[in-house]
Amino acid sequence: MKYYFRLGFVLLVITVVASGILAYLNSITKPIIDENNRIAKEEARLHVLPEAVSFDSIFVYNDENVYQGKNDAGDVVGYTFVASQYGYSSDVKTMVGVLPDFKINKISIIEQKETPGLGANCEKPEFLQRFDNLSEQGLLVDKDGGGLKSITGATMTTRAIAYSIKDGLEELKEKVDEEK
Amino acid sequence: MEFVSKIFAMAIVAIFVQNFVLMRFLGLCPYIGVSKKLDSALGMGMAVIFVMTMASTFTWLIQSYLLVPLKLEFLQTIAFILTIASLVQLVEIIIQKTAPALYKALGMFLPLITTNCAVLGVAILNINEEYSFIEAILNGFFAGLGFTLVLILMAGIREKLDKSEIPASMKGMPIAMIVAGCMALAFLGFSGLKI
Amino acid sequence: MKLMKEFTKGFIKENPVFVMALGLCPTLAVTTSVENAIGMGFAATFVLVFSNIFISLIKNFIPAKVRIPAYIVVIASFVTIIDMVMHAFVPALHKNLGLFIPLIVVNCIILGRAEAFAGKNNVIRSIFDGLGMGIGFTIAIIVIGAIREILGAGQLLGFDVLPQTYKPVLVAILAPGAFLVMGLLMGLMNLKKK
Repeated sequence: MKYYFRLGFVLLVITVVASGILAYLNSITKPIIDENNRIAKEEARLHVLPEAVSFDSIFVYNDENVYQGKNDAGDVVGYTFVASQYGYSSDVKTMVGVLPDFKINKISIIEQKETPGLGANCEKPEFLQRFDNLSEQGLLVDKDGGGLKSITGATMTTRAIAYSIKDGLEELKEKVDEEK
Repeated sequence: MEFVSKIFAMAIVAIFVQNFVLMRFLGLCPYIGVSKKLDSALGMGMAVIFVMTMASTFTWLIQSYLLVPLKLEFLQTIAFILTIASLVQLVEIIIQKTAPALYKALGMFLPLITTNCAVLGVAILNINEEYSFIEAILNGFFAGLGFTLVLILMAGIREKLDKSEIPASMKGMPIAMIVAGCMALAFLGFSGLKI
Repeated sequence: MKLMKEFTKGFIKENPVFVMALGLCPTLAVTTSVENAIGMGFAATFVLVFSNIFISLIKNFIPAKVRIPAYIVVIASFVTIIDMVMHAFVPALHKNLGLFIPLIVVNCIILGRAEAFAGKNNVIRSIFDGLGMGIGFTIAIIVIGAIREILGAGQLLGFDVLPQTYKPVLVAILAPGAFLVMGLLMGLMNLKKK
């Protein structure tokens, strides 16, 4: 009986010591991780809407905040939102910067696990540039009769990006018009 | 009805599209190690399905009712691996006492399962994917099923391979890897399935 | 002199990946690029060295019956530490390695060394053993990563190394490529041994 107590006691001691050390390290790294995430999101927003100096959340779309970007003078210079849709083998998440006339300013991919060499090419600037200055009507992939050139061998990835942005734009337009 | 189709889609993804062994690279050690004979592959497969389902159940409960409310998420890895290790022990003792025949068939595989990364893998994936309780259990079951499927296929191929002429330096592990590569190529055909 | 042997045996003679075929999951999963391989190798070496040190220090206090669970707790703690540190300071790499950082816990190399070496030897020798095995693991996955990255993307560490006219063999960075490259390398090792 005493032997089994000793077994339990040794394991308990090890686990308690380990948890204590981890709790301490967690208290150090957690704020850094949160801060990193915050900075990463802010940089992603600034990247697609460089003219803005401040961002205010205006509503929530797809579990993510939609922001209104303002410049120094307090004028609205555009909006950012996160579009997301299942592509070929993963959810493709895109950060979209929109100008006040609801034309796309710039987009960037924030998350994707598509096929390397095919769908994963959606992160390349040559592809991302195709979205600059597009309006809602322009978001139609060439395979569906539109003018947006898809990634070679990855039409499904292109569709996911284009149509998720289109849905987001529609939602944004509706919400912003309501405000007015 | 929507629930049924969602479950069906989950099964297809876990077994074929994102097969744990061939696409996610989880559980490779038993996949290569225990695939020499068909009957031991079958035994290992059954044991893994059982443990993966149980592990999904318990780790989900621990995460949702213990770690999250107490804000101890950072202890996830320790808590999960200990849960799995004790679960395997428990299962071993229970089977030994209640079903000696089953124990004889599965017994030798059970200790190996603790270090099977597919088990810990499915437990963590269930949490990362934010599955509900039922979804987590089913995901564990389907993932185990996918593992068993490719394990048995592999064992069948390797039993035949033993009788064929292979360059001496490729015998054993190397050729098993090449065969696994060919199987992965075949399974690649499932990705992109619209479900 | 003996220490040197403990250190270098993991490089080739007892290479954990090619010779002992341990830790296959991370070996195949994260070797889509050299960068990922280096990150994984570093994380695994860290865990290997520190768990070896601790297990060798506390081995006399642990009753034989609870040896394995005790080892697992020690290993899991170091895995959690490296997980948190990488998440905080190299978030991009942490995201790429994803699930395979917590899965270092069940990497057979680490528990294997704890059981076969650190549980029986003193601290200094355990450090050298852990370091050597870790480096052997890292070398192995960097080699695989390099082959896959060059063939599959025409790049090395993200820089183009092959002429623009080279058409990447995509399959090398997809899942099947991992198995094929690994199988051929193991065959090559066998050929050399004879």
